Amino acid sequence: MSMQSTYLMVPAAPLIGAIAAGLFGKVLGRVWSHRITILMVAVAFGLSVSIFNDVMAGHTFNGSVYTWMTTGDTRFEVGFLIDRLTVMMMLVVTFVSLMVHIYTIGYMQEDPGYQRFFSYISLFTFSMLMLVMSNNFMQLFFGWEAVGLVSYLLIGFWFTRPTAIYANLKAFLVNRVGDFGFLLGIGLVLMVFGTLDYASVFAAAGQHAADMAPIPGISANLITAICILLFIGAMGKSAQFPLHVWLPDSMEGPTPISALIHAATMVTAGIFMVARMSPLYEMSEAALSFVMVIGAITALFMGFLGIVQHDIKRVVAYSTLSQLGYMTVALGASAYSVAVFHLMTHAFFKALLFLAAGSVIIGMHHDQDMRNMGGLKKYMPITWITSLIGSLALIGTPFFSGFYSKDSIIEAVGLSHLPVAGVVHVAVLIGVFVTAFYSFRMYFLVFHGEERFGKAHDDHHAHDAHGHDDHAAHADAHDAHDGDHDDEEVSHDHHHGLAPGQKPHESPWVVTLPLVLLAIPSVAIGFIAIEPMLFGHYFTDAIFISEHHEALHEMHEEFHGAVAMGLHAFTSLPFWLALAGVLTSWFFYMKRPDIPEAIKQRFSCIHNMLEEKYFFDRFNDWFFASGARGASRFLWRFGDVRLIDGLVVNGSAWLVGRVSGVVRHVQSGYIYHYAFAMITGVFVLLTIRNWFE
Amino acid sequence: MNVESLVFYVFAALMIFAGLRVITARNPVHSAMFLVLAFCSASGIWMLLEAEFLSITLVLVYVGAVMVLFLFVVMMLDINLDQLREGFWRWFPFGAALALVMVGEMVYVLGNRKTAATEGLVRHAADYSNIKELGRLIYTDYVYPFEIAAVVLLVAMVAAIALTLRRRIGVKSQNPGKQVLVKKADRLRIVPVAAEKSGSDRAA
Amino acid sequence: MNLATNLYHAGAEVFLLTMVCVILIADLFVAGRGKMFTYMMVQLTLLGCSFITVATHTDGVAIVFSNMYVDDLMSDVLKLLAYLAVSMMLVYSRTYLLTRGLFSGEFMSLALFALLGMMVMISASHFLTLYLGLELLSLSLYAMVALQRDSAVATEAAMKYFILGALASGLLLYGMSMIYGATGSLEIYKISDAIEQGVYNKQLLVFGLVFVVSGLAFKLGAVPFHMWVPDVYHGAPTPMTLLIGSAPKLAAFAFVMRILVEALQPLAIQWSSMLAIMAILSIAIGNLSAIAQTNIKRMFAYSTIAHMGYLLLGVLSGTIEGYSSAMFYAVTYVLMTLGGFGMIMLMSREGFEADNLSDYKGLNQRSPWLAFMMLLLMFSMAGVPPTVGFYAKFSVLQAVVQTGHFALAIIAVLFSLVGAFFYLRVVKLMYFDTPESHEPIQYQADTSLLITFNGLGVLFLGILPGTLMSICAVSVQQSLLLH
Repeated sequence: MSMQSTYLMVPAAPLIGAIAAGLFGKVLGRVWSHRITILMVAVAFGLSVSIFNDVMAGHTFNGSVYTWMTTGDTRFEVGFLIDRLTVMMMLVVTFVSLMVHIYTIGYMQEDPGYQRFFSYISLFTFSMLMLVMSNNFMQLFFGWEAVGLVSYLLIGFWFTRPTAIYANLKAFLVNRVGDFGFLLGIGLVLMVFGTLDYASVFAAAGQHAADMAPIPGISANLITAICILLFIGAMGKSAQFPLHVWLPDSMEGPTPISALIHAATMVTAGIFMVARMSPLYEMSEAALSFVMVIGAITALFMGFLGIVQHDIKRVVAYSTLSQLGYMTVALGASAYSVAVFHLMTHAFFKALLFLAAGSVIIGMHHDQDMRNMGGLKKYMPITWITSLIGSLALIGTPFFSGFYSKDSIIEAVGLSHLPVAGVVHVAVLIGVFVTAFYSFRMYFLVFHGEERFGKAHDDHHAHDAHGHDDHAAHADAHDAHDGDHDDEEVSHDHHHGLAPGQKPHESPWVVTLPLVLLAIPSVAIGFIAIEPMLFGHYFTDAIFISEHHEALHEMHEEFHGAVAMGLHAFTSLPFWLALAGVLTSWFFYMKRPDIPEAIKQRFSCIHNMLEEKYFFDRFNDWFFASGARGASRFLWRFGDVRLIDGLVVNGSAWLVGRVSGVVRHVQSGYIYHYAFAMITGVFVLLTIRNWFE
Repeated sequence: MNVESLVFYVFAALMIFAGLRVITARNPVHSAMFLVLAFCSASGIWMLLEAEFLSITLVLVYVGAVMVLFLFVVMMLDINLDQLREGFWRWFPFGAALALVMVGEMVYVLGNRKTAATEGLVRHAADYSNIKELGRLIYTDYVYPFEIAAVVLLVAMVAAIALTLRRRIGVKSQNPGKQVLVKKADRLRIVPVAAEKSGSDRAA
Repeated sequence: MNLATNLYHAGAEVFLLTMVCVILIADLFVAGRGKMFTYMMVQLTLLGCSFITVATHTDGVAIVFSNMYVDDLMSDVLKLLAYLAVSMMLVYSRTYLLTRGLFSGEFMSLALFALLGMMVMISASHFLTLYLGLELLSLSLYAMVALQRDSAVATEAAMKYFILGALASGLLLYGMSMIYGATGSLEIYKISDAIEQGVYNKQLLVFGLVFVVSGLAFKLGAVPFHMWVPDVYHGAPTPMTLLIGSAPKLAAFAFVMRILVEALQPLAIQWSSMLAIMAILSIAIGNLSAIAQTNIKRMFAYSTIAHMGYLLLGVLSGTIEGYSSAMFYAVTYVLMTLGGFGMIMLMSREGFEADNLSDYKGLNQRSPWLAFMMLLLMFSMAGVPPTVGFYAKFSVLQAVVQTGHFALAIIAVLFSLVGAFFYLRVVKLMYFDTPESHEPIQYQADTSLLITFNGLGVLFLGILPGTLMSICAVSVQQSLLLH
């Protein structure tokens, strides 16, 4: 098999799986649906590994596979750009996707939309691969929209829940805002460069660095405008402030997709895109500063929100937001490789945390409230240990993967020469403390302390008890008595939970296996990869850094190997901040649970603000939703009903109707009329021809 | 103007006149006869062009066969043309006006001096055979269109049969073969009838 | 060129003619078994023809039979599509005709004769063969329309078609004879050579051109030579309408290309102004009249007129892009028409014609899949992305704009909006109205499979039009290479 067909096979395999499970799911049945999709994703992963080896041997590829259409001089093509950045993303996407596919067998066991779910996640894998493998903006946009679509479908997977519908609508609308900017950015690229091909755009970036917008009275640098517009797209997709509001709500979707889409892969598309566009961003300090500030705001303020959440998934969601902020900050500091490095480590440990949270949720019988948990360590040992690993990686414990990437980001910001870098540096340092605090708050509340489950649910439906008794443990034998669950599982609109006296239990192997497999890179990948990815030549061809932005270069001079870096950490500020965060949370939630309660009473206005997520949702609802409704009502009443319907549509329809009525009469049915018309036609043509002479 | 041109104009005028009469004659039989006249004039023009074979074929096939058949049909069907042409005179002015303008335009184009100047006809020697030449061309250079023309005729035949052949159900008809083979026993049944009783009873 | 070479290039035609004769005779002896044998033989013949066409494909342009026959990529592509169209027509119409007692050997052999006529036209490089091919096609079609002898409407339609067709042929022949007089040749390449070398009579040539364009316009059904279209489409039995509306348009396209582009390219200024008038009139009158129709066959007839206007737009732009977009338009038009009329036959049953718009009310409730396929076809005809109709219209308009005919493009777009109305009305009827009848739709597996293929094909080609577009571009380019 030639390499080109291998490239083609990588996205094609999950697409085949998606089509098989989506269109023929009924015929295939549950078991064959998941077998086929998993096999296909495994194939994609295997091929990605072989492409990785090939790329490491120095074979990159940039070429088009298919010309979709040509208008004038512009060609719209489907093409692949396979370099080290791409292949790393391919590996991450296919690996996490494979894990999530396996995990889904356990998690969605009793869901009636089983095949549909597999079809969607395979489709997502396809779209994401198309996005990362693209060699032009158009295909990038296609992948961008396709992952958005699948995300929309999956957030609303349980479409009978009103909250899910609300959440997916919200995600869709907020992403539209970002996509609008993104599309404008692409349009501007086409205008300035006359092509959508990455390579040609990047090659010409230098020539256009000083181009000014051709709008009189406005002196805007075009490259800056392009970068900021493209970044607005990234803000939507990667949930950066202020377009972050959709991500927490997206937790309405099933947990596997929260792990795959809303933590590991799709939300990092924005980061990937900016890294890919590094030759453009390097031309514009203004855009880089913008990126960095947005990232810092997201990193710090979204972290605060994680502190007050009670829903286990939402805590992880806010932590995702905050970590995405870190990546964005790194992009702003021109440390693209660091951002991508963090993207990779984060993909592993955050997928791990989400899947672990999902495992807890299974154990708790779909109760997601941490106030009802506690002491689960004893009942769910594998979930416990993997969660602990994930949390340690997240807070940046030395030698764990998260440490290497996050510390590098902080260091890169410290070394950045952008005017805003100083403030941002402080923000990301505080963020370390906050991250440690909320991560371990969650950890302690869930796995340690008093066993609070099975108590607060006296009012709960009695039938839950029999229906859910050990359902996950008996997963394999479940098909036999499927019927009596379906009606409950369709509507997840009420909290389930453990009946009094019931104990949680460890999840089946299909759930724990991905946890264990994800725990390994969460621990080790940073240690292994930091040297080649950050300081070696891994990204030399894929990422461009201008000579003025040498933060990374300076870091390289201080870097003396992964071990040294880990040891050095014990004397550095971030480590102590993280430790302080862990200890504080231990003290607050294990030793003196009354303190947080007291703080909550004392500073109720701050707490209220956090609870209300800085009033963003309120504001959006009031200003954008109601405002848009009001404006559209006006436009509908006046513009549409009166002007368009009354005058334009009905008026022209009336006219057209009259004309067609007249024309109809010409068609009399008499041959001689027809012949007469023909001869008249000849006459007219002849006359015209005589005039033309 | 030489004799040849004179003959040409005579034939041409005849043909136009005949063509006009074909559509204006009230009696369909007259129309058909004028069509015959038109064909004959055309054949005369072809003769002038030294295309004897085509000229004669036109007379033989169209005048001799097609038009005769046509006349049969016209006579057998007793078509009332006046009824068919209802409205003809109403529309005639429009048609005539259009036709006149068209003719005017054509004259304008074709009567132009530049247009009229074409090379004269190539004259052939006396022993030149039009038939031989046609035959040679048809079976060499023009064999492909010739074959297609044959297919067109085949289609016409298939179409004619498909459109007219009716297998009517319930129509009684004789089968001569069976008629010939019929035996006496099939037709004639001898019924033994008892002889009439003697008149003795009646006498009584 | 010896006979073997000649026959090699015309292999498909020879094979087809042989097979029609065999089928004509064989049909007499196998009558009465649902005509399955004949039907299969016809389909196999079409398959054989495509095989031969592919197998005898040669790169470049071959001109054989004493410059009467041209074998180039364009002719091969168009022929293959014509086989496909005829084959699909037979699949769609089999059940329909069987229930009406019209599925006869004559029907099938006449269809094959018509196909032969198209092939002759497509491959003609001589006015004589062009004309003969046209007559062969037309004669077969006249007869097919009249095949339903007991239907007064069909007979009337056949009569109109025949008489007007004869008139158009007369115009065409007259024009051809003028061109012969002006250039001294009937061969396409010699005509173009003569014009290029200046050895011609321009007055006479342009005069002939007017009549030739008129004859062509009749075949395409462009205004004002369109009057036969609605009556014939409406009156003819649906399978015949399907045949008239689909594959012959490919042949007509080839006809236009051979005469106007290959032979008379230097007169482009003259003919493109004529085509422009006809194109705009066709688009306007076609779309406007379609709105007032209640019969879907009539509606399709007017939509055909409009579509031919768009096709002419591509031709009149006079560039390679324009010609290839016109070819693309012809191909997609054929695909959409097949689907549209196929749907009518699918919905019809014994004693019931689904040719009124009201028959499509609530189709979605009766058969969601069929409704979806119809939706795709209607979207495509209206030119809604991502169906292929959009792309076809888009590329034609692009070609027009590139040559600076902005006014034409704007008018065409405006009227395509008008056109969208009646296509979308069908969609509205299918999805938002309550059905008038709840009779189940009976259809065979092969037809439903074909309509699926057809509908999804429209979608697929719309998403990935590149391959077809480049085939069209290459074949047009190759045909024009000689000049």
